[in-house]
Amino acid sequence: VSDATPGPQAGPGRQDRPDADITWQRPSPRLLRVRRIEVGLVTVPAALVGGLAGAGASAVVGVVVAAAVVVAGLLAERFLARRVASWGFAERNEDLMVRRGVLVQRQSVIPYGRMQFIDVTAGPVERSQGLATLRMHTAAAASDARIPGLDTAVAAKLRDQLAALGESQAAGL
Amino acid sequence: VTGPIPADSSLPGESPHPIISGTGTTGWHRLHPLTPVVRAGNRLIALVVVLALFFVARQHKDGSQIISYLVVIAVALAGGFVSWLVTRWQVADGVLRIETGLIRRDSRRFPLSQIQAIDVVQSGIARVLGLAELRLRVAGSDSARGGRLACLRLADAEELRRELLAFSVSAAVPPAAGDAQAGDYAVPVPGAVAAGTGAPGALGDDAAERPLFRVRGDRLAAAILLSRAGAISLAVIVVLSAVVITTGKTAAIASFLPVALGIAAAVWRQFNAEYATRVAAAPDGLRLRSGLVQTTAETIRPGRVQGVRLVEPLVWRAFGWCRLEVDVAGPKERRENRGEGQRLRALIPVGSRAEAMAMVDELLVSRPMPDRQPPRQARLKAPLSYHFLASGGDDRYVVASRGRVCRKTTWVPLEKVQSIRWVQGPVQRRLGLASVLLDVAGRRVTADMQDRSAAEARDLLMGLPDMARRARLAAGRAAQPGG
Repeated sequence: VSDATPGPQAGPGRQDRPDADITWQRPSPRLLRVRRIEVGLVTVPAALVGGLAGAGASAVVGVVVAAAVVVAGLLAERFLARRVASWGFAERNEDLMVRRGVLVQRQSVIPYGRMQFIDVTAGPVERSQGLATLRMHTAAAASDARIPGLDTAVAAKLRDQLAALGESQAAGL
Repeated sequence: VTGPIPADSSLPGESPHPIISGTGTTGWHRLHPLTPVVRAGNRLIALVVVLALFFVARQHKDGSQIISYLVVIAVALAGGFVSWLVTRWQVADGVLRIETGLIRRDSRRFPLSQIQAIDVVQSGIARVLGLAELRLRVAGSDSARGGRLACLRLADAEELRRELLAFSVSAAVPPAAGDAQAGDYAVPVPGAVAAGTGAPGALGDDAAERPLFRVRGDRLAAAILLSRAGAISLAVIVVLSAVVITTGKTAAIASFLPVALGIAAAVWRQFNAEYATRVAAAPDGLRLRSGLVQTTAETIRPGRVQGVRLVEPLVWRAFGWCRLEVDVAGPKERRENRGEGQRLRALIPVGSRAEAMAMVDELLVSRPMPDRQPPRQARLKAPLSYHFLASGGDDRYVVASRGRVCRKTTWVPLEKVQSIRWVQGPVQRRLGLASVLLDVAGRRVTADMQDRSAAEARDLLMGLPDMARRARLAAGRAAQPGG
């Protein structure tokens, strides 16, 4: 393990983030639209059902419940742009780096040789926008690495590229 | 029977070897004729007990009822007999073949080179009859969930296990340097477990076993009582007696019966599985034997250990006890084995710290200790576990410890690391902290270097992938013959 002694007063600074000098590739900007549609698809029916259920008690309650659900959906929408912007991946010489998250930020390193198989999946909303999600599986259950919102063609190309790299650098368990 | 395979022997396919000397050559073999009794055993006992209870409760004098019960038992046994009749196995060309099934034939092939481990398992009835079951663990796919040979005579089972393991080692020597995938499975980490890998001819020699550890029965019983199960049962007893004393009604006990039975079953299962755990070093790996009623013998081959975990619960620490577990890569356990599959293999169910450290030395080439504490501000984020948070490592292993009341120390070999994760939550960001986690195969072991300073975590995330790659390369070089 690194012997670098951390500065005792290493404050929360930009220089301590591990992604400082990496050029990140980003998902397609259409991913934001996908996420918005998904939030809308959840919010509108939830508001309708909640409103109707509340209206059983009184009309005011129904309106309040529906409004609350809509407001929650709008708040989630505010958050979406930052979440979508947080995704990034970088193909390095020996491994793939993926980062995500706004509140809890995560950054994973997966050596190409450790990838057991690679999935390209696309839900109905993603498909309608011509996007797909790339998932990388290793022998460890905990290493959950995925890249959402890739152009279908880009995803397929990346999958083949990663699979080829994985084959050439494969290591046993 | 020694049946040694010469060290420079060709692959098993090229010349016929006697697999089990004494029962013949590599022709087709049947399993032991008493197999149906053992297989139906547990169910049969349960059935008989239930029927007997019915019989006593109702005081049947009607003979036809008994006859119908006997018919049920006979049908169950007959099914087992037919299944035994159509099951056969053979070893040929470096492949173990098991064929079974009357209507839908099921033929499985197990290339010996892919065998990870072979366990000898004896259930209670099998022990009475002197029989044993061989379980094969195979690398890779979990759908081909390993094979079973049930049942063989115990001596035959042990002999067959020895010979299969010897063949699997000699067959797995990588034929070419490029074949890293096949070769790596059988890679002995130099000096890791056995004192040298030894020539294949020396394999299966029981005289070469070097005993390392033996659990003390009284200490195991005390340790289980002092663990969580023990605490829960104590609480149940206290509550029960309080209820009985205050209300004076013994009927209240009945409502606790299911809980009590569940706890008793769990405690019994653990005691049964870990009783008389013995670990010995042999040329083909660590031999692990355990069990009271159902006994298990398995061999953990060198270079297969994915992680080592030392667990020190609060109460045990007062006695200086701890538990040492290893995680070995293998197929996912089948549903019926889930109970034993969930736990890590406990090399030391309970032992002194010195015993555990000696065992760690046996498992790992070097033993770095978690000696670097996180920065002081981590105390704000993790006030209850700060005293146990530490990490460390060298160029082969990473070690991390954590826990609130129960300290868990995890060693992970860098060459086995599957992925490295860096995580920073909002509180950690405010305090300038971050965690780095190393995942190895399986879902049970992760080295969690929690709440390091942000700068150190960044250096770890940037440096560890290279170190892991170098460790992999070093292990790969050691794998090549003569390399």
